[in-house]
Amino acid sequence: MGRGQGVGAFFSALVAFAVGVTVMLSLLLGDNPALFGDRPGSDELARRIALPGDVLLRLIVIFLALSIVIGIANLLFVHVSRLTSGKFYSAVLLASFGFTIYWYVTRRGDTSLLEAVQLPIESALAALLFVSLVHGSSRVMGKRNDIWGLLFVAVVVVVLLASLPLAELAPVKAWSDWLMRIPVSAGVRAMLLGIALGMVVTGVRAVLGQDRSYRG
Amino acid sequence: MNEEFNWLEYSESVERAAAEAEENSGRRGLRRFLPGRPKLPRFPNILRRLKLPRLSRPRWPGLPSLPGLPRMPRLPGLRRKAQTQESVQPSTAELLGGQTNRPVEELDDRLRALRERSASGMMGAPPAPAPNQSLLDVDEVLVSPAFQQKPGGVISAVALTKAQQQQVEMLKDIVGGPLGTQESDGRRLPRPTSVFSLSALPRVLGTALLALFVSLPFVSSDFAEGELPPVEFDEDRNSATTFYNLLDNIARDDYILVAFEYGPAAAGELDMLAELLLRHIFAQRATPLIVSSNPIAVVHAQNIIREINRSLSDAHAPLTADEDYYLLRYLPGGALGLRELSENFGDIARVSARGQLTGLEFASLQEMTLMVLITDSAEDLRSWAEQVLPEVTDMQLLVATGFAAQPLAQAYADSVEGVMGPVYGMRDAYTYGEKLHANFSALDPSPPEQEPIVEPVQASDGADGATDSNAVSEPQIERDGPTALPAVSASPEATATSAATETSQPTSTSAPTDTPAPTATEATLLAVEVTSPQRVNIRRGPTTVDDVLALGYPGDLFEVLGTNGDGSWYQIALDNGLEGWVAAFLVEERVITASELAGEETNDSASLPRERAVMRLDFTFRLGKNQPRFYQAQAPAPGDRTELVLTRDRSQEVPRLQAMTLGTLAAVLVIVIGNLFYAARGLLRRRDSSGAR
Repeated sequence: MGRGQGVGAFFSALVAFAVGVTVMLSLLLGDNPALFGDRPGSDELARRIALPGDVLLRLIVIFLALSIVIGIANLLFVHVSRLTSGKFYSAVLLASFGFTIYWYVTRRGDTSLLEAVQLPIESALAALLFVSLVHGSSRVMGKRNDIWGLLFVAVVVVVLLASLPLAELAPVKAWSDWLMRIPVSAGVRAMLLGIALGMVVTGVRAVLGQDRSYRG
Repeated sequence: MNEEFNWLEYSESVERAAAEAEENSGRRGLRRFLPGRPKLPRFPNILRRLKLPRLSRPRWPGLPSLPGLPRMPRLPGLRRKAQTQESVQPSTAELLGGQTNRPVEELDDRLRALRERSASGMMGAPPAPAPNQSLLDVDEVLVSPAFQQKPGGVISAVALTKAQQQQVEMLKDIVGGPLGTQESDGRRLPRPTSVFSLSALPRVLGTALLALFVSLPFVSSDFAEGELPPVEFDEDRNSATTFYNLLDNIARDDYILVAFEYGPAAAGELDMLAELLLRHIFAQRATPLIVSSNPIAVVHAQNIIREINRSLSDAHAPLTADEDYYLLRYLPGGALGLRELSENFGDIARVSARGQLTGLEFASLQEMTLMVLITDSAEDLRSWAEQVLPEVTDMQLLVATGFAAQPLAQAYADSVEGVMGPVYGMRDAYTYGEKLHANFSALDPSPPEQEPIVEPVQASDGADGATDSNAVSEPQIERDGPTALPAVSASPEATATSAATETSQPTSTSAPTDTPAPTATEATLLAVEVTSPQRVNIRRGPTTVDDVLALGYPGDLFEVLGTNGDGSWYQIALDNGLEGWVAAFLVEERVITASELAGEETNDSASLPRERAVMRLDFTFRLGKNQPRFYQAQAPAPGDRTELVLTRDRSQEVPRLQAMTLGTLAAVLVIVIGNLFYAARGLLRRRDSSGAR
């Protein structure tokens, strides 16, 4: 590793560590003035501790908003460059972009484009997803002809049947309720725990410089 | 057939070689393998990392040069450095070429070929033709892009360095061979299946069946299947009932934070529910503050309100932005944006989605009465529950979700204090709409479908027989005042009977003995008044873990039905027919006579700053649990709040529900038939293969 890169990596790790610890302390101590006891001025002390974290978080939100603008600019540059390759859809994208901007500027407040174009398209995509899922589910036993494939199909059928408003399917509804209440709920909670643990580990690694920081 | 390329073995060998080299060298990183790497100056490091455009080669060769545009200033040295930096990006062959700690004979064939290519100066030479290198087991899924070397293709337009070109060639080698009908080793490559081919028949039939079943209910009502959802939430859906009751008990000019967290893809499932919730809030004369971390959702919310406006008659004043409702600015940053919402709500509420000042001044999110979250994403629900809910105290988050997020929403509602609901999917939306429509139809002077709710008066004994409709019809009665007002009994005997009967179920209350005795000729009622300076929760049971049914505000009066064992909770009557419990330390007992009640109404309406005082004049009379009770609808309150609910277009609700039912039925059929076919085919194949052995 070059010496310049080493200095840069050290600097970036240092910045990540300082920002991470500052925000963490601000959130932990700033929100709990009771930790400083009943001494006079404890509220003011907590407020001062909370301030750097608040400022940094607001800065992050501003940068994230700025990244949207950068993303739009990048999108435009990429598709302008693809125009030279005769990419028709890039031309459509750029024309749509320009037309939408023109529409918004000249007919401010009119959001009929959203209702007439984007809403039907995205709804149609969601409907296509339904068809694809059904088709994929119908081929499970063709790809995986074993007990696990059978279990998957059985659960799908039970949950779907239970959602039907037919009185004859009351027993199936009881099975489905059990599935949703016990295994699904357990799985959801397990995922929440996993996400929380993963976020803690990733955060600690980034703060301690063991993982990639903002320099990527 | 040629020997297939084993990708896993190859990648492992590269990693193994790199690790061994690192151990032997004592230096970290793979860059030590680079022979003759140019020495770059240490600083300025940032400038070296700049990806400056290549001024010597046009970026887009096909574009004419634009006159008048300023040329990029020439920065002598820096561009060359940047190019040098790019050009030394090592390929795997280069890395292995620098590896000298292992003799060539010890390397496997692939690594040996790579080292030989590196030693032979392969920078300009085309790579050796690879054998069949489709990825094992995934070649049907992962198909290499169609790289084209001809002028005008992707590669020529991007201007790659030699090192990058090497990496592209390697990627082509790894990912697979050419597309289309070409065969590299006699094995046929996958190609898209035409919808007219025989193999696509099951897919086409399945799709046609789904489309047919979903479309039929919109063509004719004869294809109805199954039952419509109930008009009331089921008994085991207490959380959904609580959801409705909380929203039904908000007061005029309350501020409700409504989070629109769903995009157009979920509009079909959630639009109906979102519109109902907004209509309910508007009908209560509360003010929704709409926020979202999804920019499209904010615009979509505005469109829903626009639809509500279109449904109103000309006599009704249209709902106005920044007056009847507020579209607050978009919250970027996902969870961080929600964090900012909870920390700096005052700043966010000052600016509308159009960047204009709203004139709202809030110190914190705590000033909201309720929060309503409408989302199709479990991730959004998690963000709200983790970033926003902990920052407020004694406030409920009502969750309305799509079917996909329901399991997580239910888990939060079951275990997190303050999360209410969920109400989810179109069936719940239908039930919510029917319940809302029925309740507000009772307020309409000319209800379109339903008569006002009037329960028959049934005297239980002689004393109660004096309680008739004439005796209690003097005050004005309305179903849904935000707070319940006490009933007035026709006689003291009736009150005594009521108290005795009521207290027999929970425990007896001793309140009447502690309070001044009413005159013999005047009707009295035992009530509690909310004395807490803040709003109080009215719960389903006498514990803090029970669901919140409604909210009580300072000064509100409720009829007492009884107390719990130690007297720490009062059981009270709510205006919507439910009974709830309120903690005793938050209220104060009062015995109210009819004359006091009349005076208090006047005083309250004059003293309360907000128009909730007017709403408190709406009475619901209750004469005890075992006494004759009745609700009598009255003419609607001033204004046209019922129109906000009753003008909803419900013509498509039933066909959509029927389509959902039939579509689900078709899906089950397709899945079952398809899997039966494939399972039978698999069993036959196994039997054949075992027979062949």
